[in-house]
Amino acid sequence: MSNATLAGPRPRGRDSPPSADSTPRRRRSGWWLLLAPILAFDVVLFLTPLGKLVGASFADNAYQRVLEDPLVLRALVNTLTISLVSTIVTVVLGYVIAMVLWRAGNVTRVILFAVVLLPFWTGILVKNFAWAVLLQDNGLVNAFLQGIGLTDAPIPLLHNRFAVIVGMVHCLLPYAVFPIFSSLTSIDDRLGLAARSLGAREGSVFRRITLPLSLPGISAAGLLVFIISTGFFITPVVMGGPGDMMIANQIDYYARQLTDFSGAAALAVILTVMVSILVAVYQRVLKAGGQHEDN
Amino acid sequence: MKTTNPQQRALALFSIPVFLFLVIPTAIVVPVALNDSRYITFPPEGISFAAVAGFFADRAWTSALTASLQSAGIAVVIGVLLGATAAIGLHGRKFPGQPAVVGLILAPMIVPTVVLALAFYQFFISVGMVGSIVPIGLAHAVIATPYVYLTTRASLAGLNPALVRSAQSLGAGALSVLRHVYLPVILPGLISGALFAFSVSIDETVMSLFMQSPGATTLPVKMFTDIQFNLTPKIAVSSALLVSVATVGLLLQVMFVLKRRSSARMLPLAVSAQT
Repeated sequence: MSNATLAGPRPRGRDSPPSADSTPRRRRSGWWLLLAPILAFDVVLFLTPLGKLVGASFADNAYQRVLEDPLVLRALVNTLTISLVSTIVTVVLGYVIAMVLWRAGNVTRVILFAVVLLPFWTGILVKNFAWAVLLQDNGLVNAFLQGIGLTDAPIPLLHNRFAVIVGMVHCLLPYAVFPIFSSLTSIDDRLGLAARSLGAREGSVFRRITLPLSLPGISAAGLLVFIISTGFFITPVVMGGPGDMMIANQIDYYARQLTDFSGAAALAVILTVMVSILVAVYQRVLKAGGQHEDN
Repeated sequence: MKTTNPQQRALALFSIPVFLFLVIPTAIVVPVALNDSRYITFPPEGISFAAVAGFFADRAWTSALTASLQSAGIAVVIGVLLGATAAIGLHGRKFPGQPAVVGLILAPMIVPTVVLALAFYQFFISVGMVGSIVPIGLAHAVIATPYVYLTTRASLAGLNPALVRSAQSLGAGALSVLRHVYLPVILPGLISGALFAFSVSIDETVMSLFMQSPGATTLPVKMFTDIQFNLTPKIAVSSALLVSVATVGLLLQVMFVLKRRSSARMLPLAVSAQT
């Protein structure tokens, strides 16, 4: 190998195609060994179980059976409406947070990032437990509402759809903040300066520059949040009422209450197909917006 | 933040409730656990460690804690080994099937956990692996590995593959290259990946719920089961324990970000979350 390969400038993190003489033979044949463990692991413990699941879903006329079940249809409608409302609320609140992060100085930004990331690190059960404590009849929120004289008696805030959406939005917010923040940071600050120097007001700078240029971030955030929403399982049980069950709960009901595996498997396949289509669209949006899925 | 004009002041004002909405639920967990009352209330009526003592005296809860730590241990060890080897194996290489390989590695992140839970439930029954923590740990390893892969890959982004070739041309063997070239570079990524894997496993509920058995009930499963009947001080203590883990993870992540001096380098966000 010549020293020129060492001295020559290379783009960071990118490998230029190695010339035949710069690649020793043992490296060429050996590196597959590094991929073998993960491939074997994923084939046995990921693809095989999923394959068996898909196989089971075709037994006993399962698809027709579950799609004729009124409970399933209600769960599907619940999933779509709850996910849609949660997504809209999450994206609006996420936009506010992303704007503040975007405008913040360096130190403030790190602190606020930590605030956004704390619920991201906290498990869903812990977050839902905390919300149950806050929203219960003698909880902080009801005490506050009574304190400011908005109500005399506690309002039932828990075990209903409102609570489910609160719990979901709280879990989903970090996922909305990051795509929006990253599309905001890619806006050229000089556009705003130019507009202001030409007499534009803050409102119209936002409406005509910031908002349109952050649309890729908004659509990425909306899709990501919607995708995650459709799989919620814990929150409807802990915070919702009997009428707020979503598709994931219906899968659980089929599997563990009815012990109808093929029915549960059919529902799981339906959910996975829905999510996969949305993920494919999401990746399109990311590519169009010039963002990368991994940061 | 410069709040010179009314619009920015309005933004700052409007954002305060949103930030409170984010923080308050997590912030109340520890005070609730230390509340001096038989009931779950906030604000607390006084500080007491009675609930903590009660938690650690209760066999059902301590064995749930043990089960959680065991499954997290399995997930971290497998996740680190598989994620790191995969990231190194794919570093600086292009080959025809590569997108498919990367897709397979990341795929567990996008399948809803309830679907995986059902698939594992069926699978582990069919191979006769039930009633222990091992299948739960393995299931957690499946979803934790992509995180480790991504964090390791991120830390490898700055390593010039030419450096690896030069080490090899100077006679370094495969193991020596791994130890002296790759290991120092990937160590930060490995640590944050391991942390992520631990956090994913310790919080995972749905798969553990489907695969639970008397000897293998994890902390979140115990919480989930109890929470449906009553909000008890022991659930609060368990939540406080998990929040402590989350806080350590967050602090390490913030330190990691500060050291790198860029907020863009946040750890990868999964497409799928623990829901």
